[in-house]
Amino acid sequence: MSVPAEQRRREFESEALVHLDALYGLALRLSGGDEPRAEDLVQEAVLKAYRAWDRFEVGTNCRAWLMTILRNTFINEFRRRKARPTPVEFEQVAERPSSEALYEADPEGRIFDHIIDDQVIAAIDGLPDEFRIAVVLSDLEGLSYQEVAELMEIPVGTVKSRLFRARKRLQAQLYDYAVEMGYLR
Amino acid sequence: MSESGTHPPDGSQSGGQELNCEESLARVYEYLDGELDTGEHDAVRLHLEKCRRCYPHFDFERLFLDYVHELGSEQEARPGLKDRVLEMLEAETR
Ligand SMILES: [Zn+2]
Repeated sequence: MSVPAEQRRREFESEALVHLDALYGLALRLSGGDEPRAEDLVQEAVLKAYRAWDRFEVGTNCRAWLMTILRNTFINEFRRRKARPTPVEFEQVAERPSSEALYEADPEGRIFDHIIDDQVIAAIDGLPDEFRIAVVLSDLEGLSYQEVAELMEIPVGTVKSRLFRARKRLQAQLYDYAVEMGYLR
Repeated sequence: MSESGTHPPDGSQSGGQELNCEESLARVYEYLDGELDTGEHDAVRLHLEKCRRCYPHFDFERLFLDYVHELGSEQEARPGLKDRVLEMLEAETR
């Protein structure tokens, strides 16, 4: 092993691997809580980053760079899995009747101080793929509609409607949890 | 979708004129996400300043979005992952 190669590896490890938890968390949410798949994704993304390390400008945002690589890796893999796209499938997902029930029962949003984060994360993980990916990219990662649209290769209008439906579904789920917890009647 | 306020935003109308409740609520997420152009953003804001029905609804949606955003996605990776990544990098360097 040559000295420069070894040095390069050490540099990559110290710069990039501090972001492993961030990468893993994003991979886990994108894959809907599938741990083995998330670990594979992280490994694949890290390997891509390592191979491209010479193109990374030291001093720029390494975390953002890595997260972008992971998002792209995920989306590419997601497309391969969905060799035949099934847009009809998720457009048909019916709006839950209780989509406004949470607001009506708890307009001040006190539930957000009481609900258990893991329950909400489970609800996000349980969303249909296309909804979940939009929520993770937009709401957890803070990407703009345009960025989500480009990444998912869908029109901005579709991003809007997926986010709308996904958020309403989450609220419906939170309502159900809140009732189960006895917090709302 | 029968209730008002549950329509996915269609973003069809451009800003300037006053919006009614239904039109404002249809834009709630675009408004809160900062995705409306200036004219439409102002039109919604003007409506909210005088509508006691919509204002709390927008407030609620903002709390919801803030809550979800604060969840973030960072999660501690199991120790085995770091070891495998290090091995992979070593193999790749060889
Ligand atoms: Zn109103």
